[in-house]
Order: sequence, then structure tokens, then C-alpha cells
Amino acid sequence: MPGESSHEAVSVEYRGVTKRYQGQDEPAIRNLSLEVPAGEICVLVGPSGCGKTTAMRMVNRTVEITDGDILIGGTSVRDREPAKLRRETGYVIQQIGLFPHRTIAQNIATVPALLDWDGDRVKARVRELLGLIGLGPEMADRYPSQLSGGQQQRVGVARALAADPPVMLMDEPFGAIDPINRERLQNEFLRLQAELRKTVLFVTHDIDEAIKMGDRVAVLKQGGVLAQYATPAELLMAPSDGFVEDFVGADRALKRLALMRVSDVDLWQAPLAFVGQSTAEIRSKLEGAEVPHALLVDSERRPLGWLSDRDLARDTVPAQPDSSSDPLLDRDDVLRDALSDLLQAEAQYAPVTDGAGRIAGVLSVEVVSDFLHSPEAAVEEAPAAERPLAE
Amino acid sequence: MTPLVGQVEIRDRSEGGGCVAENGAFCFDWAVDNFDRYVTPILEHLVLVTASVAAGFALAFALALLSHRRRWLVPPLIAGTGILYTIPSVAFFVLLLPITGRGTITAIIALTAYNLQIIYRNIVAGLANVPAGSRDAGRGMGMTPGQLLRRVELPLAVPEVVAGVRIATVSTVAIATLAFLAGAGGLGEQIYSQLDFKTNIVLAGGLCIVMAIAFDLLLQLAQRLLTPWEPAQIRRRHAAGADDVLAAPA
Repeated sequence: MPGESSHEAVSVEYRGVTKRYQGQDEPAIRNLSLEVPAGEICVLVGPSGCGKTTAMRMVNRTVEITDGDILIGGTSVRDREPAKLRRETGYVIQQIGLFPHRTIAQNIATVPALLDWDGDRVKARVRELLGLIGLGPEMADRYPSQLSGGQQQRVGVARALAADPPVMLMDEPFGAIDPINRERLQNEFLRLQAELRKTVLFVTHDIDEAIKMGDRVAVLKQGGVLAQYATPAELLMAPSDGFVEDFVGADRALKRLALMRVSDVDLWQAPLAFVGQSTAEIRSKLEGAEVPHALLVDSERRPLGWLSDRDLARDTVPAQPDSSSDPLLDRDDVLRDALSDLLQAEAQYAPVTDGAGRIAGVLSVEVVSDFLHSPEAAVEEAPAAERPLAE
Repeated sequence: MTPLVGQVEIRDRSEGGGCVAENGAFCFDWAVDNFDRYVTPILEHLVLVTASVAAGFALAFALALLSHRRRWLVPPLIAGTGILYTIPSVAFFVLLLPITGRGTITAIIALTAYNLQIIYRNIVAGLANVPAGSRDAGRGMGMTPGQLLRRVELPLAVPEVVAGVRIATVSTVAIATLAFLAGAGGLGEQIYSQLDFKTNIVLAGGLCIVMAIAFDLLLQLAQRLLTPWEPAQIRRRHAAGADDVLAAPA
């Protein structure tokens, strides 16, 4: 029976693919070759008219290939019967495209119904998927018009996952969702993906979304030409040409920060002070220290505040320092957010704590700036799916 | 005062007394006593409407399916059914007489021809209004063209299709009053048989109106049962075209 076992992710390979629409002189896609490794998200990104949707749709043959070939797990899509190929390929589109006349359960069960699964199996799968996307079982019998846009999009993803396809095609799946919900849906999908490990082709025109969602990003330019295919960090560090540089934007340094965690940079260390310690000892530690201020910590090394010159003028370290330790950052904070906190608090230094709240180091604007200029910045980044997610 | 010869029989048998003699606006007693005269015309009228709407729907549906994947067929079909629609009904009956003779069949053929345009247009519009996203999603998930039509496109076209059938039915109830010219009887024959007897006109005409409203309510109910997914306000919008026929001008 088809779809009986869980499908292992497979690679998707474009081999010299060209698409020429009838009646058009210029091809929509020109000799595209790239390989998406199994279980990774490849984002196709570019300005409108660059052929990114065309490139994606050739995978399930909703657009036919003119020249070249696409291999899914080593098998040419040209040898597959289109309807069967599509039932084994998840499909999510911007308009969501839920069937308004079918209940949520029936929508999710679309492909299982086409594959003639028996009723109990379909029911169990629908229940499982509703749980996966965080919708209650009472949603099963509602109609799409009774759901919010965000809920509908979740159902769209669940429907695409129903028969556990190894490959997912997602065409601007979050494009019609408001920014706050889009961010939430992106994070949810990344969390799902960390678990499911599908091979995903994801189309967007939004470079920020591409950098956030992609393990790899393929930047296409007008005329369906591949400008660069690289990891998000490589793309931001070393754009292959002026087009990519313009497309990723003048703020690419800031975008790189969005890919990093505070733990990715070499933090500075501040001299630590404990309550009751002699200030003379602290003053001597301050000479030549990376951070010219002493940080008061409790016996568990949790930050209490910064010691001022007045604090240090006493004989021993007081329990109530003059200056608070805010902003207090966490090692797992996104670097861009941490920098923002730092700037907003008009602070020069911010203590960074580990998961247990103990001091791990100090972040400053200089630390971030040094980091952006260091060559290892691009290398230290972990693949998107392995990164813990910021909510 | 000498009564007209043709009306002697009816009026003499009536229990209406003064009302009938004075040709009042509506003689209730006479209507009750003589209602059996109207039963056969009502049944004839029902047959004419039901048969011609059913035949019109079947034909229009077949034409709509034919032109669904052959879009170039739509304009000529709209034009063709449009020409049928513009033939004056009296002329249509007369034109058919030498071919199909006098009788119910002739009337049904003409009435069917009138329905075609309305129903065909609405089925085509219903199929065209299926959200592009639903169609794309269905195709992209591996539905064959037939599966897409049966599982997605036709169910979603139901509101427009039913709206078309409602308009067609209501207007057929009215046009069928001319079917007696083709020798098919119906309530029209009853009206014309006693044109100067007001009670007859009011009763036969009123029965046509009641029939039209009854058909419309039945079809509205059918649509509600067929489209449980439609929120009430959307259903009203879809049905607006049909309601315009019945609603009094504001």
C-alpha cells in the first residue's frame, strides 16, 4: 500500500533545467543546476519575475520542464506520472487553497483520500496532524471560513504533510499572513522541520525570510539565472556579485547578527566582586582588565550590579551596588536582539548569563563590531534547523 | 342585463350569488366551490415547469462540462443560447408547430430553450468563480482533472448553479402561462378562458405566484442543504441575483 511506511527524506537535484514558456523569447529559467541535500530547506529567493515559483513547480510537474531534468532521490520526475508524483510531494501555497466546502479534517485528508487509505487510518492521521500543528481536535469538523488566517495556514501545512511526503514544496507559504503571525508560523515550521527533516523547497521574495528559513539559499535574478547558491551566512559574508549584494541589502551586517547567538561570539570578562570582599583587591584586578568595571555577583556567581567608583571607595564591597546589572542578556539570545537591548538601555556593557543565571561574560558594542570583522563569523553558524528557536 | 353566453354555465352553477353577478374583484365562495376546475391546469403547469427546467439543467450542465476545459466554446455557446432566449415565446410556439405539432412536448421544448441561457451562464460563472487557490492546491496535491471537477470545482459552483436554476424556474412559471398557445394547457389556458371574470384571473394568476414562490423556497432549502459550509451572509450574496426577480423594487 502506498504511503504505508514513513518516507525518508531524499535529495532534490536540478540538472541543467531550462523552462521556456510558449510564445516567450526569453526562458523563464535558464540552465539551473543545484542540489538540495536530503532533509534540508532550500529557499528560492529573488525579485518578482526571476522564475523562482516556476523553478519550484517543475519539481511536481505543475509546470513542465523544457530542457534538463530534476531528480528526486535519484529518480527523474519526467519518468513519473504527474498525479502520482504530486501525491508524494507536499504542496503549500500562498493563497493556502483550503477547500472551503470541506471540513478541516476532510481538507487534511485530501491526499490520503486520493491514496485510498482506510477510514480509521485517515482519522488517526488527522488527529495526529492536528496535534502537530497545535489545533484542538474540536477543529476537525469546522469549515475553513471559521478559522483565522494563521490557523488556516497551519492546516495548509498539515494537509501537505498528511501522506508523509519526503519532499515539500512551499510557495510563499506565509506571504499572506500579518508580520506577527508570520514570525510565529516560521518558528513553528522550523520546529516541525527539526523533527520531520523533510527536503523542502521554499519560495519567497523576502530575503529576511530566506535567511531565517533556509539551510541554503538560491538567489535567482531576472531571466531565471542562478546568481548564488550558498548558506545564509556565506550569502551575507560574501555576496557573489553586485546583484546579490544589492538584494541582500545594505543592512547585511545586521542580518548576519540575526543568524547568531550571543554564545557565538568571544565575550569579554569583567572582574568579579563578591559582597564583603576588600575593594583594594578589586581595584588591582581592574587594572588592565578587558572591562574596566567590576561586576558584583552573589555566591552562585549571579550578577547583582556594577560597582561604581563610589562603591569602590569604601573598604569592602557593599551589598547594594550603585548601578544595576541591566540589561541582562542570555547566552541563547539572538545577537541582533542583544545588541538592540544594549543600545536601548544606553549601556556600554551587558552581563551575559548561562542557562542557570550564572555570569558567562560581558557583551559590548565593540565585541559585536570585532566579531563582524572576524573571518570566523561566517563559519561558526550552525544550520538553521539545529539552532534553538527564539520565540 | 344579459350575461355573455360563454359565462352562463360557470356563473349559473356558482353559489357566489351577487359577487359573481357583479363580477367582484374576488369571489371567495365561488373560488372554493370551483377550485377543482384549477387542479388539472395546476398539474399541467407543474409538469411544464419541472420538465423544462430539468431538461434545461441537464442540457446546460452537459454544455458547461463540454466547454469547461475548452474555454473557446464559451462565447459561441453564450451567444447561441442567447439567441434562443430572445425569440418571442409566442413566435417560438408557432415556429415549432409544424415540426412537433401541438401539445406538451412543443411547449417543453420552447421553455427548455429559454432556460438554457440562464442556467448555462450560471454554471459557467460558478465554475469560473472557484478560488484559484483551491484549484491550484487540488491539482498540486495530485487530483486528476476529473477528480478536481467532482471533488472541488462542482461542489464549489453549487451556489451559483442553484441561483441560476431559481431564476430559470421562477421565470418559467411565468412564461408557461403562454404554453396553452401550443396546446399544452396549464394555468394560462385557465386565465384566457375567462378573461373578463375577475375572480378567475385573480385565482389563476395567484396560483402562478404561489407556485413560483414555492419553487423558489424549495430550491433555497436545497441549496442550504447542499452547501453547509457557506456562512449565511455569503449565501445571501450568492442568491441576490435570484432574489431580484421576486423582490419588489425598493
